[in-house]
Order: sequence, then C-alpha cells, then structure tokens
Amino acid sequence: MFKNYFKIAIAVLKRRKFFTFISLFGISFTLTVLMVATAFVNKVVSSDYPDLKRDRCLYVNRVEMRNTKEGWYNQSSPSYYLAEHYISTLKVPQKISISSFSRRTNAYVNDKKIFIEYQFTNADYWTVGDFIFLEGKPYTQQQISNAERVAVISESTKKAYFGDVPVAVGKYIEADNVSYRVIGVVKGVSKTMQVYYADLYLPYTVSKTDYKRKSLMGDYKVILLAGTKADVSRMKQEFNAMIAKVPIDNKQYDKMYIHADGAFEDLCRRMVGDGLNSGVFKLVSLVGLVVFLFLLLPTINLVNINITRIMERSSEIGVRKAFGASSRTLVYQFIVENLILTFIGGGIGLIFSILVIYQINALELIPNLDLRLNVSVLLYSLLACLFFGLLSGVYPAWRMSRLNVVRALKS
Amino acid sequence: MFKHLFKLMWNKRKHNFLFLSEILVSFMVIFAISSFLIYYFQNYSKERGLDYEKVWSVSYDESYKTKNSDSLTMYYENLKNVIKALPEVEEVSFSSNNIPYANSISTTSITFKGKSFDGINQYLVGEGYKKVWNMNLEEGRWFTKEDEVAKDRPIVINETLKRDLFGDQSAVGKSTADYEGNKKLKIIGVVQDFKANGDFQPSGRAMFWKVDTAAFRWLNSLLIKVGPKADAAFESRLYKLISNTMKNSSIEITHVSELRISKNEATVMPMIIFSIIAGFLILNVALGLFGVLWYNINKRKGEIGLRRAIGASGSSVSLQLVAESFVLASMSLIVGVFFALQFPLLGVYNVPSAVYLTAILLSVGFIYVLVILCALYPGKQAAAILPAVALHEE
Amino acid sequence: MIRLQNIEKVYRTDTVETLAVNGISLDIAQGEFLSIMGPSGCGKSTLLNIMGLLDEPSKGSVRIDNQDISHFSDRKLASFRNQKLGFIFQSYHLINDLQVVDNVELPLLYRNSTAKERRRLAEAALEKVGLSNRLKHFPTQLSGGQRQRVAIARAIVGSPQIILADEPTGNLDSVMGNEIMDILINLNQREGTTIVMVTHDENMAHKTHRLVRLFDGSQVQ
Repeated sequence: MFKNYFKIAIAVLKRRKFFTFISLFGISFTLTVLMVATAFVNKVVSSDYPDLKRDRCLYVNRVEMRNTKEGWYNQSSPSYYLAEHYISTLKVPQKISISSFSRRTNAYVNDKKIFIEYQFTNADYWTVGDFIFLEGKPYTQQQISNAERVAVISESTKKAYFGDVPVAVGKYIEADNVSYRVIGVVKGVSKTMQVYYADLYLPYTVSKTDYKRKSLMGDYKVILLAGTKADVSRMKQEFNAMIAKVPIDNKQYDKMYIHADGAFEDLCRRMVGDGLNSGVFKLVSLVGLVVFLFLLLPTINLVNINITRIMERSSEIGVRKAFGASSRTLVYQFIVENLILTFIGGGIGLIFSILVIYQINALELIPNLDLRLNVSVLLYSLLACLFFGLLSGVYPAWRMSRLNVVRALKS
Repeated sequence: MFKHLFKLMWNKRKHNFLFLSEILVSFMVIFAISSFLIYYFQNYSKERGLDYEKVWSVSYDESYKTKNSDSLTMYYENLKNVIKALPEVEEVSFSSNNIPYANSISTTSITFKGKSFDGINQYLVGEGYKKVWNMNLEEGRWFTKEDEVAKDRPIVINETLKRDLFGDQSAVGKSTADYEGNKKLKIIGVVQDFKANGDFQPSGRAMFWKVDTAAFRWLNSLLIKVGPKADAAFESRLYKLISNTMKNSSIEITHVSELRISKNEATVMPMIIFSIIAGFLILNVALGLFGVLWYNINKRKGEIGLRRAIGASGSSVSLQLVAESFVLASMSLIVGVFFALQFPLLGVYNVPSAVYLTAILLSVGFIYVLVILCALYPGKQAAAILPAVALHEE
Repeated sequence: MIRLQNIEKVYRTDTVETLAVNGISLDIAQGEFLSIMGPSGCGKSTLLNIMGLLDEPSKGSVRIDNQDISHFSDRKLASFRNQKLGFIFQSYHLINDLQVVDNVELPLLYRNSTAKERRRLAEAALEKVGLSNRLKHFPTQLSGGQRQRVAIARAIVGSPQIILADEPTGNLDSVMGNEIMDILINLNQREGTTIVMVTHDENMAHKTHRLVRLFDGSQVQ
C-alpha cells in the first residue's frame, strides 16, 4: 500500500512541476527557518560546554525585594556576602560556584585596544563548570586566599593579547592597569552561555571593589551542584528553607524572593519572569505563538495548492472510490502523500539549514557561537516536518474524501 | 452596484475562503514590516542633533570615598582639569551613565499646569556637555557655573518636550515642577532634538540637569571630546593617567562611535532578518497565488473559449480575469484595513498615526500589485486561447 | 442479483428541484446482460450510479446479492463495491500517472492481497483483454480502444459478480466499439458475470439479453 502511495506521490510531483516547485520552495524555506531557530534554541537551552552538569545544577541569579503595600520593587543579583554568609552554609550541595557577573575593561597591547570581559570567581567555579584547559590549570583555594594576582584567560584573549605564541602560561597580562600572571588558558565559551562567558577569569579576592560589603544585593551569581540528580530537589528544599530565614536588610521592603532554579527555569525567569513567577509558561506560550504566526502563511499557501491539486485529481479520486476505497483510506492516502512531499522539502530544507548555519558560524555574529545540527535538532526538525505535513494535509485530505464521486466521474 | 458586488462576494465566500485568508495574512505581514520600515526611515531622515565622532566615554566605579562634599567636588574638578589640560583633549564633561547610544536609560516625569508629562529622558550633565556633543541651542542658553547657586533649579529641555509643553511659544524663562509637583524648575534653554537611541529611533522628550556636588557620589561617567591628534597611543596614556588617579576603580574607555554602531545594529539586524523572512513568505505566497490562478483559468478554458466565440476580444477576456482577482483582493483588504486602522485609532506603541496610515496605503498598493502581477500572465494565456480549440477540448 | 424497488432520485439546488429518476423498479438476474437506453438526461446514468452505490436514492430500496445496503456505513459500502462491483466509464478514467498494470491493480489495493498476487491477477486480466504486451505503458501512450480495454481489465481484476458500464463504447468508433462489446459478451458468457450497460447505440443494445428504455426518469419498456 505504502509503495503504491509513494509511486503515485512521485508521479503527481513529476506531472505538475510548477506546483511541485512552489510546494517544495515553501516547505523547504519554512523548515529551514524552523531548523535554524531550533538549532539556536537548542544551543541556548541544552547542556553545552562548559555547563555540562546542568541536570545536577541550580542557579541563583537574582534577588528581588518588594514592598507589597506600595507596589515598589527592586531587583538585582546576589552579593558575595549573601553567597558566602548564607548560601555556603547549605549541606546538600556538593560544590558551590560563586562568580561575579562579567564586567568590561580595556587592555592595551602595542597601542591596540582590546575589550576584555572579566569575572571574579571562587575555586569551585572550576569544578562546577567543565572547562577545557588548553594550557595550565585553574587557580587553587590557596592562591585565592593569598589574593595572588593570577588569571585564567580564554583562547581568543590569548591570541588577541599575546599573538601567535605557543605558550601563554607564565606571561603577564595587564588589564585594568593591574598585571596578572597567566596560569591557564581555556577553550572559548559561547556568548550565549552567559553564566560562563568571559575573556579573563580572576580570583575574587583581587577584586578592587569591596566584595565583603554586608548587603544582600550585589553583582554575583551562584551555582549549586548536587552530588546526584536525585539530590537536586532536596537541595532546592534546603535552599528555600534557608532563604526564608534570611532577614531583609532594607526596611523599605517587606518581601524578598531568591530562587535556586534549574537551567531552563532560570532562563525563563531571566527573560520574562519575576520573583513571583518563573515565566516558564509565559515563555513557552510566547515561543509557541511566534511559531504559529510564522507557520500560518506557508500553511495556508500549501493548503491552497493542495486543494488545487486535489481538484485536478478528482477523476482519480472518483475511480478509487468506485473501486472500493473508503473515505478514510483516501484521507490516509493524501496525508501520506503530503508527508512524503513534506519530507522531500524537509531534506532540501536540511541542506539549506546546513548552509545557513555554516554561514552564521563563519560570520561570528555572536562570539564563540558554534551552532550544530545534532541529533536532538534533527529530531525536532523531523517533528516539525511531521507537524507541518499534517497541518497542511489534513484539511485538503478531508476535502478530498468528501468529493462527490458522481460529479468527479462525470468530467 | 455595491449590493450586487457584495452579494457576489458573499456567495463565493466559501469557495474562495483560503485565497482570501492568504491575502489577508499577507497584507498583515506587509503592514507590520512596512510600518517598521517607514517608522525607521522617518526617524533616520531627521537630523542627528549631535556629533558622535571623536567622543570617548570613560566609565569608572566606586572611587573616591569621603564624607566631605567639598573635597569630593575638588577631587573630581581636579581630575577634569588634568584631563582637559592634555593637548589632545578639546572638552571634558561629567555625565550620568545614560550617555547617547549607551544601553542605559533614565526617565522621569514633570508636572506642568497640573498635568504630568512622563517618559522624559533625564541627563545629568556638566558644563562642557553641550560642547562635547556639539549640540545646537535653539533658544536661551546652556548651563554656567552660576547655575549651581540658583534658587529654582535650572533645566535645559529639548525641542520635543518644549513643543509638548508650550507649543510654538518660547520656553525660556518659564517654570515647571518636578514629578511630585513640589520643586520648581526653571527652563533656561532649549536644544535641538538629538537621537540618543541611534539613528533609527526618535529623539523623544529630554531634559538636562546640571551636575551638583551631591551627584559626584554616584556619577560614574566622563565624556571626552578629543582632537584629531588623539590616537591609540594617546588612549593608552589617558587610560594610565585615569587609572593612576582613581586607584580603586575599574576603568573602561569606549568610543561613542562604536556604541552608535552597535545601537544601530540592534535596530537594523532584526529588521534585516524579519525582512528576509517576510520576503520569502511573500514570494512563497506570490508563487502560490500564481499557481492557483493559473489552474483556475485553465479549468475555465471552455467558458473562455465560449466568450471568445461569441465575440469577446482577447484583451477583454484577460481584463476580466485580472479584474476578478482585483475584486477578490479587495475583499480581503477591506477586512485587513479594518484591523490595521485600529493601530492608528488606538495609538498603539506611540507611533505617529501618519506612519500607520502610510504603511496601510503602501501595503494595499503592494497587495494589489502582487495580485495583479500574479493574474496578468494567466490572464494573458487565457487571451491567447483559441475559441475553436478550447471548445473542441470541452 | 440486483433488485431496485420504487427508486426515486431528486436533485435539489437552491431554486430548482429536478426529478432524475421517478419510481423505477427493476430486477436483474444473476448472469444477465442488461442494457439501458434513452435520450440524454433521462436518468439512465443516475440509475446506474445508484446500482453502483455511488449515489443514494431519495426514495426506494436497493438490494444487491440479497443484501439491503441502505444502512451501510461509508467503509462497508466501499468494501462492498470493492468485492462485488466493477465499473467501466465512457471516458475510461484511467490514472495517467500510473502504468497500465498499476492501473489494473488498483481495486486489489483495497483488499488484503500481496503485491505478488496483485501483479499476477492484473497480468491475467490484461491477458483477457489482449493487452499483455502493454503492461509498462502509460495510459496516454495508448489508443482509445486500448484505454477502454485497460479499464475493462481493471473492472474484472477483482472478479466482481456485477459489472456496471456507462456508455463504454461512447467515445469509440464502431470497429473499436465492437471489439469492446465482444469482450463484454465473452465475459458474460464464460464467467457468468452480470453486466448492466448504459448505451446510446441501438446495435450494441440489441446484442444484450434484455433492453430497458427510460424516458424522463421513468421506464417505458
């Protein structure tokens, strides 16, 4: 049966080449856009270098205080004090990474200016994140305690600052008018990986700003790493219980929200959520709406063309019905035909996607962003193909099955 | 006539439903894109109102700590004078960190004649600010040293805010009140509108305060206008100089021209991506419409042959087919324009009505051209049908 | 084999009601070769469509092979058509995108049969109509008579008990028409297939066992 559908689908495609071209053009373009978007979303949402232990991690990125009577609110990030004095007391987390948000400064080499983003980190930062060290190693707890001026730099910083030298470890990099001894070089992190992206990593003890200030709000971020996946929810409970006891240090506010979120929840909260609501539902429905609106036009177009094609084949449909095809069989036939068409379009779309993704990577629009069509992207694309094929096939198929046999056979 | 046409459309609505909805959605897409494009173009064609070339911004954080405001002022004045004394530097000014083209915004509202005017960009600036940006004064004057001791706090506003408050009248010398309606603010000057959010965004309302001693506690930006001789070597020396003066601070020097590029990109890049996608969508639709019209005309060969046989000319046949598509497109456009008109009527997103109306006109024109182009070739083909052949086939 | 009782068929449009078939009763025995004649618009095709379960009568009952089909679902009707009926049309209605042999196999697709079995039966059917050398041709490469023979092969491939033919020779000249007629007569005599044929051609009609004449929706002979 399927072989027969396939045969007829190919024959129909070959007959009306112009319609076939229009259909394939629409399908492949639509799926290209979807695939590239999926590759991008997949990059942002899934575990990626160096954030490989996502399923065991919880992220603390924001501190929100509210005055529930007046409706004021103030939102910032955790301070080092909050991380050290409160969060570090937790028992469940195996490791606790504390690092500042990236700040920017300049470095000057041979009268050339380099922009440098730098982060201050603790020692656990290097075990929670799975960095690949091209040279040297991270700084130790001892070095941090001694406030040694040592630095880990990224691959691109090494190239920009030192040029094509084989080894950067042991050399000195001057940033923000301070000289740091390079002790490690790591593989570049994608800019989309906000938690870990930086050009220069420094021990928090060499920070010029007063990291010991006793305030809950600051510009640090915390990652809690659980020993096993099963510990994550226990870790979250412990965190929430601890936060509930932290006194609000600003009299203007009566409520405080600090969350330890999973990676996806954290992303949603950062983009559209707030202290009360994680924004997962909002973001997912927003993305769904955008995809729906984008799909609307190609779908209507394809449905329109499909119906035209069906009208053209009314004699065939009449014959099939006369010789014993039930309406249901015809619906199946048409949907299968449309799926075949969609998957051919999907194949072409895949080739286009590879080209587009290659271009995006080559243009370096976003530093270190390396889009890939991996298995999960392909799986989602397959799903998209199926969905699109069904969407644009069901209505025409229904129309097809409802075709009046007597009239179809009259022509 | 209208009743007749309406009846015709109404009877055919089911048959042409998909065709109609496709045109409707296409119209909405074109309307959205052209609204953006017209809006950006309109803003782009306005004067920039400031010179960004050779302006550098220096940002610093928590630096000099003292409870004594006199010595705080002295410290910063001293820093400013040292920089200004450099031969490569033309002008220096302190500024709040919402400098033009930066990603930082600070807005406030004022109360004028009991009415609140909000969404005003407020800039806290030094005396040299106007010269750094080479802004144009429309009336009145810029801040001077004496303004620090004035009884009512003096402010300078921009053209847009002036027009909103006073219309065509002069603003200089008049007073207004701050957001709470308590403190009196005296307008001493009006500057030309300047597009602080990039070349494609409107200037909006703006007002300037002069930096006072209290402000030094939290200010963290310094703007420097440099001369032609300022090169990277100078920048490196300047960096050292400032770092050595503000020992505990982290320093970043940025060229405003770079900020402008990334600010403009933030507008242009999404536009390019959306335009490409919309372009493909429309191409897709155009091909689809073409195919469907072509098929319909082929299906009606017999009818067309008959018309030719009873004496219709080739051109009148093709005209009829094009006119049919035109009527169909009009049906969708009536619905589309109805929805689109809600944007200017409700004043959505604070975009001037003229933008929406132009966009509607443009989109209507575009859809008509698209549909007619798609119908033209099949129509021409129909005109070429030989009556004898068509009738024989039937 | 086929029993029609008081069949009435009314076509309604917004303004007009047309009575296409008006109270026809007809009994067709197994193995009979019946022809229906009448002027255009007399309702003969409508009657044939009703027998073929492609159209429903407005009134009256249809029994085929002693089964009342008025309460059959779409699926049951489809399988009934598939098992018991074969159709031949004036304009052949072959699927131009499929090769001759695939066209003939079509009815078997809607039964449980293997590809091998389908191919064997299709080849046998084409042999019967004398087209075993045209298996891989496309319908557009054949003459009108050949196309109608392919259509006959398609109608008989599933060994139906009844064949319904709607002006099978209408588009053909008399030589080819006679060829087609011979095949049908042969089929009726050798296999005992019941055949109902609508025709305009007196000569063809007289070759059949019984002739029914319709006029304006009613039986006149």
